[in-house]
Amino acid sequence: MENYEVFEHTADIGIRIKGKDLKDLFKNAGLAIFRISSRKQFTKNKNHANISIKISSDNLESLFVDWLNELLSLSSAKGLIFHNIKINKLENNSIEAVAVGSDINNYKVNTEIKAATYHGLEVFLGPGGWQAEVILDV
Amino acid sequence: MSEVNLEKIDDFRWRIPKSYRPGMRAPGVIYADEKLLKDIRQDKAMEQVANVAFLPGIVKASLAMPDIHWGYGFPIGGVAATDIENGGVISPGGVGFDINCGVRLLKTNLQFEDIKNKLKDLACALFSDVPSGVGSKGDIRVSAKEEKEILVKGAKWAVEKGFGTKDDLDCTEEQGAIAGADPAAVSERAYARGKAQSGTLGSGNHFLEVQVIDQLYDRDACDALNLDLGQVTVMIHSGSRGFGYQVCEDYTRSMVHCLAKYGINVPDRQLACAPVNSPEGKAYLGAMKCAANYAWANRQCLMHLTRLAFERIFNLSWQKLGMFLIYDVAHNIAKIEKHIIDGEEKILCVHRKGATRSIPPGHPDLPQKYKKIGQPVIIPGDMGRNSYLLAGREGAAETFYSACHGAGRLKSRTASSRSENADTLLKDLESQGIIVKASGRQTIIEEAPQAYKNVNDVVDVVHNAGLAKRVCRMRPLGVIKG
Repeated sequence: MENYEVFEHTADIGIRIKGKDLKDLFKNAGLAIFRISSRKQFTKNKNHANISIKISSDNLESLFVDWLNELLSLSSAKGLIFHNIKINKLENNSIEAVAVGSDINNYKVNTEIKAATYHGLEVFLGPGGWQAEVILDV
Repeated sequence: MSEVNLEKIDDFRWRIPKSYRPGMRAPGVIYADEKLLKDIRQDKAMEQVANVAFLPGIVKASLAMPDIHWGYGFPIGGVAATDIENGGVISPGGVGFDINCGVRLLKTNLQFEDIKNKLKDLACALFSDVPSGVGSKGDIRVSAKEEKEILVKGAKWAVEKGFGTKDDLDCTEEQGAIAGADPAAVSERAYARGKAQSGTLGSGNHFLEVQVIDQLYDRDACDALNLDLGQVTVMIHSGSRGFGYQVCEDYTRSMVHCLAKYGINVPDRQLACAPVNSPEGKAYLGAMKCAANYAWANRQCLMHLTRLAFERIFNLSWQKLGMFLIYDVAHNIAKIEKHIIDGEEKILCVHRKGATRSIPPGHPDLPQKYKKIGQPVIIPGDMGRNSYLLAGREGAAETFYSACHGAGRLKSRTASSRSENADTLLKDLESQGIIVKASGRQTIIEEAPQAYKNVNDVVDVVHNAGLAKRVCRMRPLGVIKG
């Protein structure tokens, strides 16, 4: 079963993500945005790049949006699609992680996600684990 | 579904009273007829009109054009002006991620008869010569020093490189370069994202379209513009690409902190804002202007590549083909403008988030050639129906001289994906004489005509409410999508 689902939004894309713990939630959300935007089709360049990411925010919700935006921004600036994420630390509204990406030319990119937004944003601990809802500008 | 109780002002204007929600500093006004209103009620756009009314310093009302739909922060199709002297704020969410997304319209002296047998070749040439698609990289490469120049000079930079003429600049809003751009206010990441994307169309709803004029509404204006039935036009829709997204993201993040710092209460963090005159407001404005200029340079480069593709297919220079720019408008931007409010001149920060400026005949910001007819207002529709050329009217004073920006989405991308099939859609369009070339099949499905409101209905409201007048209508022949 997918750990994310897409929900209706007139202009953009809404996604609902689940995770067994916070680290899992952030990892699943990070991977979901690239699953939605692209599909691997070629192996033109076999090199993988490990990108270290360290961000702090005011609160958990902001951290969630900042994290997704950092991944999107790095993806665009470096021409990478991230297919694996390892979160080393996630506490006190700070995250330290390594995102593994491969050349964007190995992928067929269907949807350009411009950014994650704060509109309608939710990050909460529900009965079945952590959940988040976020609207992506496409 | 929205349950807002609207007050009918007249057949084309509806008010969300200030009392709708405590904290609103002004009412909301939606421009629509009964038919469009039904669709508008289907999503959360009206709630967003009310949210925008919370912005400090907002003047008159939070406005929504008839193509309004649910966005993030501002509704798409939203207009809000704030009084700078009265604590008025600027909000990156009131401009959006794609800063200075906009459209330009070129005319040609070709008739439909001249191109109907060459349309496939032309569409293929445009598709191969104009870089499109997600993260596409342009052939127009620039050095780091040049990138900074682009941010200040905008379209003029492209013209100096030989990608156009001075006449093109006269026919571009702000002459293609808004004053006050501050490259120092732009992050390194934005530079990294913008590099190599000059002269690229992008994806999603961005397009390049070969069209034919199929209806004239205002003979005098058409004569003044040298436009007639059956004449071929070209429309280009693009923005500031990754550069603008990063500027918006950087400043939305920093302005979330300004809410507490300046004691601002807004119901949605995507409406994060700061007083225009604060250090944060000034920095955003300086960076936003850089992105706006980047977008004007980008559309100028795209037009240059389009002219070259036409030259290749028709074996004539673009001047001989009469490929002159009619106008270029921004539809995601915030601008500092003078307006008369209750008989007094005020300096306002006008946010147009999915709205086009529409200034009337005689306005000082118009180039000489449009002083009599008013500003060309360019309204793209969907890829199966029509697009419009309108002209600004004095009636738009009530919207800070603004009109709609397109048809407006009706269906979500997911709903469109469920109901549409790319092959059937392409066949349908081809049977109507429309050739579509796209980098991705998903784009074709998401951009299906049925996903949009009928632009004819939207333009009717704009015309009847007196915000702009219809000049002529085009229908698509060849569509290049990212």
